[in-house]
Amino acid sequence: MKKNHLTEKDLIEYQFKLASQEQIAEAAEHLKECEKCRQLNERLAAKFSSLELLREEPQLSEELVSRVLESIKTSRQTKLKLKTFKIPAWIGAAAAVLLVTSLLVVSEIKEQRKSKLTEGLRIKQPQVTEKYAYSGREITTERASEISGDSKELGRVFTVGDRIVSSKEPKKPPFAPASAIELVTLPRRENVQTTIYNSADLTLVRERRNLTLKRGWNWLQFMWANTLIDPTSLNLEPLEEKGKIEIEQLVFPPRLKEVGRWLIHSEVEGQVPFEITYFTSGLSWRAFYMGTLTEDEKTMRLEGYVRVTNNSGEDYENAQTRLIVGKVHLLDQIADLARRQWPYGWPGEFLPLSSNEKGEIDKMRGFVAQQYYSLSILGDELSQKVITKEGLSEYFLYTIEGTETIETGWSKRLISFTADDVPVVNLYKYEQQRYGNSVVRFLSFKNDEKHKLGETPIPGGMLKVYRSVDNTGHLSYTGQSAFKYIPIDEEVELNLGPVENVVVEPTLMKFSTENFKFDSKDNIAGWDEVRTYNIEVRNTRDIPVKVEIKRNFASQYWDITKKGDFDSFEKEDLDTVKFTVELEPETKKEFEYTVRTYHGLRQQDWNN
Amino acid sequence: MEISDNSLIEAHNLGDSDAFRQIVRRHGPALLGYIIRMSGSREKAEDYFQQTFMKAYEKANTFRQGNFKSWLFTIATNVVMDGFRRQKRQLALSLNEMIETGNSDGEEFGAVVTADNSNNPFEKAAEAELAEKLRDIIVSLPEGQRAALVLSYYQQMTYSQVAKVLGCSIGTVKKQMYRALKRLADKLPEQRKIL
Repeated sequence: MKKNHLTEKDLIEYQFKLASQEQIAEAAEHLKECEKCRQLNERLAAKFSSLELLREEPQLSEELVSRVLESIKTSRQTKLKLKTFKIPAWIGAAAAVLLVTSLLVVSEIKEQRKSKLTEGLRIKQPQVTEKYAYSGREITTERASEISGDSKELGRVFTVGDRIVSSKEPKKPPFAPASAIELVTLPRRENVQTTIYNSADLTLVRERRNLTLKRGWNWLQFMWANTLIDPTSLNLEPLEEKGKIEIEQLVFPPRLKEVGRWLIHSEVEGQVPFEITYFTSGLSWRAFYMGTLTEDEKTMRLEGYVRVTNNSGEDYENAQTRLIVGKVHLLDQIADLARRQWPYGWPGEFLPLSSNEKGEIDKMRGFVAQQYYSLSILGDELSQKVITKEGLSEYFLYTIEGTETIETGWSKRLISFTADDVPVVNLYKYEQQRYGNSVVRFLSFKNDEKHKLGETPIPGGMLKVYRSVDNTGHLSYTGQSAFKYIPIDEEVELNLGPVENVVVEPTLMKFSTENFKFDSKDNIAGWDEVRTYNIEVRNTRDIPVKVEIKRNFASQYWDITKKGDFDSFEKEDLDTVKFTVELEPETKKEFEYTVRTYHGLRQQDWNN
Repeated sequence: MEISDNSLIEAHNLGDSDAFRQIVRRHGPALLGYIIRMSGSREKAEDYFQQTFMKAYEKANTFRQGNFKSWLFTIATNVVMDGFRRQKRQLALSLNEMIETGNSDGEEFGAVVTADNSNNPFEKAAEAELAEKLRDIIVSLPEGQRAALVLSYYQQMTYSQVAKVLGCSIGTVKKQMYRALKRLADKLPEQRKIL
């Protein structure tokens, strides 16, 4: 007992368990003996009892709940509006093109006036000595005057529409323009397709845009600022007039970050559809499932969903979305490539690829190419959105029918499939070493035709299981479990977690040691341990259940005798046995087993 | 079986519009109680309450598996503390103006006197007076002490949960709690019967 009296601090700490366990025990001991401290403690307790006056929680009015939900709704709508009013990049680009166009028209008029005045005079071209890189080489541009020859022959180089067009076209390609004035920026997408690889942070984007070209050389500018587009993967292909249009080069001008320029030579004039493809990061998808068990829990309605998330920095409007299951090996992380200052490392730097890397790239390109050309034309609007699936060797492709708009920062949930009346097996397992003292519920089904599935592999995800509790559609939550990719014809067993309504209680009834063996010095060198367990299994549910009870022994040398109410018994492995018990609703069963384990020299006598 | 908070949050993140309503209903009363006891004013508390759930709604996707109540109370604590800071700035800016402290009106505290088992009007009046005094003492406690007391005593959180909500160590929580109780012991009158 504490000799000194308890202080007010000691008593507060004692009452509110602020002190250590030992101090609290010591104080309690002291209070038993000391009247004075007890009185002080009671006085303090009486004071603190006033705290109870404010115990009751306030009423949460319906009005306040509605106000909260309404304010959330309003704030969401405001954000949506802000998002809607955000000027898309293409409008900015179009505005820039218009501005440039009008400037050029004005300058053209001035030029025409000037040319009338200065007819016959030589116009000196500006001298530019820029460097640009193409395919790992570094090329120094020639002087503009040298490219275009005599200015009399040059005519008007820059015409309306910010394209480089010469009435007498230079044979050599012009240098990359230093400013954006001489460029076509990308017009709005006609349609777009995204193919999202689940295993890697990788999305293949194919977009179709109509470019207006003039005969001769055209510069096209592409910017990927604030996005996760991999500039090294950019590819541009005309979809029509293929023989008359050549994509000459893609350059990344110095000092300009996140800008690429294509040089296009065209023998045709007018609008031509182009396809631009590239890889980007930041788009991902995740599968998840909802299972609804019937009341008897013999079948389940399985609904699959896919959630597509776009954090790529780019809005994909009306995009056809395709999802790939399977692993893709990447040499670089696309996001890192997107953030690099120089798309191909330092300008002029040439890094040879190892034969392995080349092989991987070729393999990847082959795979990507296979997908490009195996698809139908984009943008078909379908009345109902269904996810169709097709195999692609080691990969599996799911295509969401129709188109979806997925703005950056947003996620979208799409239904993947629905299967009714999928037969399921419910099994309750008890194994102290693995699950502790709780019974754990398992649910299994097979991805095959017999189970109303089996058309495609099922991508891994989380399954939430509910149970119908009545005919009015009310559900109760049963549990959830994550599973990995389920190939066709494979069975999956889901752990739905511990349950309280099925109970297994093992009780050690007897323990003894016997059959001692002694060595030459009369020390114990061998013995048997005999344990008798009584196992009680209770089903408090309103449906029959099947329970699997596993018991582990500390030795591999053992004999067992059993009696009582169980349905089957088998030796699971070296030191584990399994009892199976089937119980009717709200019943219990009991059985008993006695296990003899052999230790030390007694193991030699074990005969099994 | 009641759907867990984690499942509700997941459902909300997956676009289930009703899931968040359920969260508000489930945690609303306790949270409102906490905020009222912290702010001392029902009106302000309702504002903070609204802000808390708006933040929770926006940040729901950042919630990782764990104790949702602690997470929600952490948001509420930050909202209330920010509110206090703003209030202090306003006080500093407008020294000449009348500042409503919000705790003058007992009605605003929201919590009701529970000891109404007596029909004696004098006793009732005495209890109402004591409750009023208690409110004043709690509201006058420094914010940290007040939060520790309200969370552990009224919200019945363990000291480790309180530490998590307040972002400090268990030792600090216990110290704050002791100081709060010491002040209560000093200021509360004796001779109160246990209810």
